[in-house]
Amino acid sequence: MRLPSFFSKKRGERRTGLPAWGSLGEALYYAVLLAAGLVIGGLMLTGVAVPEWRINNRFVEVSGRLVGKGVARHTTVDLFGVRRKAWRPAVLVEYPVNGELVRSWNTAGLAETASRREVAVGLVTEQELGQTVPCWYDPDQVTTVVLKRGYSWWFWLLTLLLPGALVAFGGSGLLHAAGGWGRSEERRAAEVWGVLQRLARPLAEAEGYPTIPACDNLVNSPGTVLRFRLPTESPEAWTVLGSGLFAGLWNAVVVVLAIGAGFDVAGGQIDWWLLGLLAPFSLVGLLAIWLFFRRVLLVTAIGPSHLEISDHPLRPGGCYDVLLSQAGSVAFRRLELVLELEEQATYRQGTDVRTERQVVWREVVRCWNRVEPLPGTPFEAEVQVRVPPRAMHSFHSTHNAVSWRLVLRGQPERWPALLRVFPVVIFPASEAAAAGAATAVQQKRHEVAS
Amino acid sequence: MNGPRRASPQRLSGSLSTPQVTVTFRGDGNLYTPGERLLARYRVEGVDETLVTAVERSVAWYSEGKGEEDLGVVFFDRVVAGRQVSEEQAGWQPLTGTISMKLPLCPLSYEGLIVKIRWCVRLRLFFVGGRDFVSEHIFFLGDIPVARPPEPVAS
Repeated sequence: MRLPSFFSKKRGERRTGLPAWGSLGEALYYAVLLAAGLVIGGLMLTGVAVPEWRINNRFVEVSGRLVGKGVARHTTVDLFGVRRKAWRPAVLVEYPVNGELVRSWNTAGLAETASRREVAVGLVTEQELGQTVPCWYDPDQVTTVVLKRGYSWWFWLLTLLLPGALVAFGGSGLLHAAGGWGRSEERRAAEVWGVLQRLARPLAEAEGYPTIPACDNLVNSPGTVLRFRLPTESPEAWTVLGSGLFAGLWNAVVVVLAIGAGFDVAGGQIDWWLLGLLAPFSLVGLLAIWLFFRRVLLVTAIGPSHLEISDHPLRPGGCYDVLLSQAGSVAFRRLELVLELEEQATYRQGTDVRTERQVVWREVVRCWNRVEPLPGTPFEAEVQVRVPPRAMHSFHSTHNAVSWRLVLRGQPERWPALLRVFPVVIFPASEAAAAGAATAVQQKRHEVAS
Repeated sequence: MNGPRRASPQRLSGSLSTPQVTVTFRGDGNLYTPGERLLARYRVEGVDETLVTAVERSVAWYSEGKGEEDLGVVFFDRVVAGRQVSEEQAGWQPLTGTISMKLPLCPLSYEGLIVKIRWCVRLRLFFVGGRDFVSEHIFFLGDIPVARPPEPVAS
């Protein structure tokens, strides 16, 4: 008996297999996730939502009387294996059910749980024995009684977050698998799923040029001398933002821990675990702040770089004027402007998504040695950039990209190296140039044929 | 890479014979300029026509290299045996035919280091029982030179 092949097999230029089996495997995977989400969601609903709904809608309201009070102790074990005690006020309520008096203990909600017994005792002391209180009992089990009603929305939100994500991921995946059931990859790409994938692409495409990124945000800033001012993609800016975020978040955690430790010490309790953690955490926090301010100083000391260009988008074989302006008072041992072509590939490795970049073509447009800016005047230079006649156009798809950029590299006298990137978009050759290329192609055909 | 590509004999299953797919591009080679009209003739041999349930003809580009594969289909046509709907398909022979379409301006064929873009004509045959057979025939759009690693940056 021949077993079915679950996935299509690549054999040179052709594949054979049963596409339905591949779709079935994919559908099963997402169906399991969807089922897990529904089951967990169901448990959450029955454990949290339904009891709260019953209290608010089904429990019978009566007037009860406090006939006893005390505190209930709960013992929990934390992540480090430390046993902790918590205390809750508890009251004994007497209330009428169908003409008979029923007595039942009621403990307060989580909000009234105290880590110290005196606090819980203080809370229960406020209750006076014999006082009349409104209460609600379960008609199906009359000994279940509550003294408060309402919904804990934040708790619902938290408990529904995980099943919600599973249902959304599994459901959309199942729909996707159902949409592609038994369909070839070409058919899927040509039909509705292909359209949806195009809509979901992170970058907009240029009109009439599929897979070429739109350059609207590259031509919306006019230059002072030339036509357009190019935006910069400075890696330094991201480094500053990243180090600032890290310093902020880390120190926020340190402050929260420090406040907790402070309250403990003020209450006469010393948590040595917490104090032991606080010392290295504070050290890392201070180091993060120092690194952040050092990076800010590096970025601001060198000064901004501006690049203006005479036209955009670029075309193969075209020649363009470029104006470089480097502000700041830092002297450079070497400054160079480079035109680069970079390939970018995104792939999965295990559960990680990785992106690899590789520069495949580079040409130095101009290089300056010993740049000494005059006080208050930026260094300015106008150069010409020539795009190779057979240059590849800019390309961007879901997992792959071919990008052009002008890169400014500098070696300041006393500061770390400067790197500023100015992306540009190159379209394919114009129709006229394409016609010229067609002649070259015909010649090549004849060469091949002969 | 020029001229027709012929699939080598391959047994699909015990009951099916071995398809041999031939695609002939217009002119002397398989090099096209952006916006040019693609004309490709195909012929499938060695298959019992009655076992073919559907044929899908497509013109597509796809990426190769280090990244995940991206696929763009610019022409797609599927004909199910016994369900020819248009006049053009009325006298349709499932195992021979012509694909004619105007090629887009981009993306151009590209042979990079970690990203490659290839154009192809694909013919996918579906057989009784659900098994399929695909034959892919590469052609080139544009004349972009092969990328080579640049000299390292001088420090």
